[in-house]
Amino acid sequence: MEKLNGAIRYYPGCSLGSSAREMGDSFQELARMLGLEISPLEDWSCCGSSPAHSTNPKLATFLAARNLLLAQEQGVKDLMVMCPSCFVRLKQAEREILTSMEKAQELERVFHRKYQGGVRLRFFLEILEEIGLERVKEIMKNPFHGLKVALYYGCLLSRPDWITGFDVAPYERFIEELVGIAGAHPVRWPYSKHCCGASLAVTKPETSDRLVDRIRHYALEAKAQCMVVFCSLCQMNLELRGKDSSPLPVLYITELLALAAGSPNAQKWLSKHLIDPLPLLREQMSIAQSG
Amino acid sequence: MRVDQSFKEEVRKRTGQRFDACFQCLSCAGGCPVVEDMDYNPTQIVRLVEFGQRERVLASKAIWVCVGCHACVSQCPNRVNVPLLMDTLRQMALERGVEVPEKRIVLFHRTFLDQVRRRGRIYELGLAARYKLASWTVFQDLTAGLKFLWKRKFKLLPEAVKGLSDIRTIWREGDGKA
Repeated sequence: MEKLNGAIRYYPGCSLGSSAREMGDSFQELARMLGLEISPLEDWSCCGSSPAHSTNPKLATFLAARNLLLAQEQGVKDLMVMCPSCFVRLKQAEREILTSMEKAQELERVFHRKYQGGVRLRFFLEILEEIGLERVKEIMKNPFHGLKVALYYGCLLSRPDWITGFDVAPYERFIEELVGIAGAHPVRWPYSKHCCGASLAVTKPETSDRLVDRIRHYALEAKAQCMVVFCSLCQMNLELRGKDSSPLPVLYITELLALAAGSPNAQKWLSKHLIDPLPLLREQMSIAQSG
Repeated sequence: MRVDQSFKEEVRKRTGQRFDACFQCLSCAGGCPVVEDMDYNPTQIVRLVEFGQRERVLASKAIWVCVGCHACVSQCPNRVNVPLLMDTLRQMALERGVEVPEKRIVLFHRTFLDQVRRRGRIYELGLAARYKLASWTVFQDLTAGLKFLWKRKFKLLPEAVKGLSDIRTIWREGDGKA
């Protein structure tokens, strides 16, 4: 546990400071309240995301690998990754370099640096679990009063780890307990691991509408008052798309926790939501003092 | 029907997978969230590859519609990696200059990568604006777009990485362009 009292280095990804500000800001708040020292990987660059792996495998590997090399040069032992999509891309590049001599040599030729494999890529839930429920519980000064939430893991977090490098399954109990100590109540529902179609949100909106409507329909049927998510692509898609179902606010897990910890700066990020969560939150807890 | 063995071999070589492991149980097609938008379902794509149907596969909508959610391979009893196959087929289609039926998806990928090439990071506002203009879809989602601006949901100014020389190297080596 000593490590977690020290500095945590993280890979933010391109959306954390922009369209996923809700997550970026609430994560900073949460870290501050937990007394964690966090800082981004210096000069990190885009992981390449779907456009790279869909069209050019070399770009996909090199773009992700640059960040592994940076982490190595900066002496990072554990690199915490915030976005599930970035995480899978970085993991994939790591696997390619560490299992294929050809890829490793190609990387060395291109960057004139050799990747030794000493950086551990950790999804932020792994770090949160290491911090532990007890420590999180200590800061829950302003818990919810039985807010019913539909935990939505989405696709990339919930596939077998031999494919993606991370499977949420062993963490589900922890997440439910975490949500529980924040005073919220996870509902049982069947669509927590179905893809929301975020990667088609811009190019085939009608497809995303259909997938989001179906997911939201089941969340509403389970009487959820909001969805709680872990991925910036899911969050934006679930608030932007869907036509035939009633709107449902979509909070990041970090927002839920920072709110339950009584963050004084919540208004700053809550105002960014496309579906306004304030009416629900006002009903649930007094956030007047935080506004 | 002519079986193009070279196509089948090329796909096998590039993916490192054997697609004859598929016994058409249709688990992949049944679990696919976007199968309704495909012209061939994932099982059919695997079959068409095995039958060497280069033109039909590379010109299909299905290979572009796949969202890469990995539901198919998670459910496959033989671990046939369909998302990896789809990625590879997309790459092959672009390399051969095949007329892609899902032009907007390709345009989005290109616009996205162009942003990364220039700055090393995505500038979301710029990406949205450039894609909207290039795809003639400015009016679609205009209300949402204005809401994004009003709420300052996008970062307003772009940022670039310091190590742009790395990014240039990546493009030169990976894409043949500086």
